[in-house]
Amino acid sequence: MSELQFGMLSMPVLLVLIFLRMPIGLAMLIVGLGGTAWVTGGSLVVLAKLKTETFTTFSSYSLSIVPLFLLMGQLATLGGMSAALFKAAETWLGHKKGGVAMAAIGACAGFGSICGSSLATAATMGQVALPELKRYGYSGGLSTATLAAGGTLGILIPPSVVLVIYAILTEQNIAKLFLAAFIPGFLAALGYMITIRLYMYFNPGSAQVRQRVAYIDRFKALFDVWPVLIIFFLVVGGIYLGWFTPTEAAAIGAAGTGIIAWVNGGLTKNGLVESIMATASNTAMIFIIILGAGFYNAFLALTQVPQEISTYIISQGFSPWIVLLIILGLYLIFGCVMDSLSMIFLTIPIFFPIISELDFGLTSEETAIWFGILVLIVVEVGLITPPVGMNLFVINAMDKKTRIVDTYKAVLPFVASDIIRTGILVAFPSITLVLMRWFY
Amino acid sequence: MHNTMMKMAKLMGMLGGLVLFALIAVTTLSVIGRMLNTIGHSFAFLESTLTIFGPIKGDYEIVEAGVAFAIMAFFPWCQLNRSHASVELFTSMLPTSANRFLALIWELVFALVLMLLAWRLYVGMLAKMRYGETTFLLQFPIWWGYAACAFAAFIAAIVAAYSVYLHGKELIAGEDLVDIDRSLGH
Repeated sequence: MSELQFGMLSMPVLLVLIFLRMPIGLAMLIVGLGGTAWVTGGSLVVLAKLKTETFTTFSSYSLSIVPLFLLMGQLATLGGMSAALFKAAETWLGHKKGGVAMAAIGACAGFGSICGSSLATAATMGQVALPELKRYGYSGGLSTATLAAGGTLGILIPPSVVLVIYAILTEQNIAKLFLAAFIPGFLAALGYMITIRLYMYFNPGSAQVRQRVAYIDRFKALFDVWPVLIIFFLVVGGIYLGWFTPTEAAAIGAAGTGIIAWVNGGLTKNGLVESIMATASNTAMIFIIILGAGFYNAFLALTQVPQEISTYIISQGFSPWIVLLIILGLYLIFGCVMDSLSMIFLTIPIFFPIISELDFGLTSEETAIWFGILVLIVVEVGLITPPVGMNLFVINAMDKKTRIVDTYKAVLPFVASDIIRTGILVAFPSITLVLMRWFY
Repeated sequence: MHNTMMKMAKLMGMLGGLVLFALIAVTTLSVIGRMLNTIGHSFAFLESTLTIFGPIKGDYEIVEAGVAFAIMAFFPWCQLNRSHASVELFTSMLPTSANRFLALIWELVFALVLMLLAWRLYVGMLAKMRYGETTFLLQFPIWWGYAACAFAAFIAAIVAAYSVYLHGKELIAGEDLVDIDRSLGH
């Protein structure tokens, strides 16, 4: 068997292990190490590599942004800002048809600007918004689906852990990626609100509206979310203006959200322990994937598989747009069963070389950033697609009275809105790239 | 034994968390120091006061060594809390006992891998010690970082071995014995 064939063979083997419920990072690590041992003809190279690789990976300065952003997200949930955000959004939108649900989306978008994690956003906003939605007579399905969809804004709107990983894997500028994620994130929130409005149109009378609130009170409520704005501009603006590195920005963001939580009395002993332990679980989960993916991708590179696949696909002369659509479609399918970070690690080393060889009429950097945002959106759709959308589970578990089937049904219009938005962003790359072109 | 293991995993998690907080403090202070220094240099009347501040020397070296320990220290809790990402859709069609069996096998593999990582980290540490490698700015020995990381990896391996035992017990008893906290994206 040639090395290339062996590398090719490793892919179905890896998939079978993963589908047999082997932890994804562990599966990549085992196949990567085993494969490298086979190619290099013994365990010597592997053992030598293991002496330094773990420490080098875990002590990476650019990757240290990951635990910092995770901790920042956890501290943000303690800070009580979710309630203030929801209140502000509610005073502006609550009197419209479907307004309370729209307010939940708006608040999720706001919370997403200080939290880089989808699950934390969904869970935190769920605690605040679910009771309110129920009070105004929203059906259980629509309430849970709204929050599950809103949760994806946590990762679409920068800061975003997934974008950080994409930036590191493809050696792109994090600040530019964050900037490019803006308009798509805003469109996502807008699309979800339109979805809610349409849902109300087809199911009239399914929810009450709130009293209209005077403008003075609206601005007062809006003013109460100033800490969120400060942290957001400090983190994202600071990176963009070059005041600090992304890792420094994450540390400052974590310090800022920690101080807010402390001032608001959220930093109780239990709360603090909870948020540290949640950060611990998530960090370790992500880093075993990072470590495993490092070994697996090094093995694949050794067997030349990514280059060969890329050369093969380019030589077939397919239309770039067809290739892109197929890749995005694959993400949607995989997203139904796999978490977003694992998918990114498994696929970017194969797909990115293909995409960067194709001509979309953009510069290579523009293509990389545009593709990154598209991937970010389609992998996040996976969080709300039945049967294993994590956001659906987390929110549904918070609402004992709603059956998961009702959540599944009600989330489909949101998934449709995601797919329509992806189509628009594919057709018009400038929507994603305009801010970046403008600022740089 | 269960309590000891839980306590150990939690303690490591808290230690990692404390280190993370310390790194946040170091980085934030370093940035503030750097900015004050820049402001001091921009305005003549502030020069004498603000330029005594500055960035913390070698801050990113502290971050690198610290975060490596923190990440490794997070593994025991992740192991006991069973938080690793996996695809459960296909095996959900199998009976519960088959799922428990698979969980046991993979946990065993995981424990072995963690032992391998811990052992190699230790060997790596010995090598760094032998060559006396130090960091560039602070000149502190690189093996310190390795030692902390290897220690955390050993604890992770022990906890994972206990987790294998738990999985075995669950397979034999035919019931779940551990409460898993899935709230807030644990």
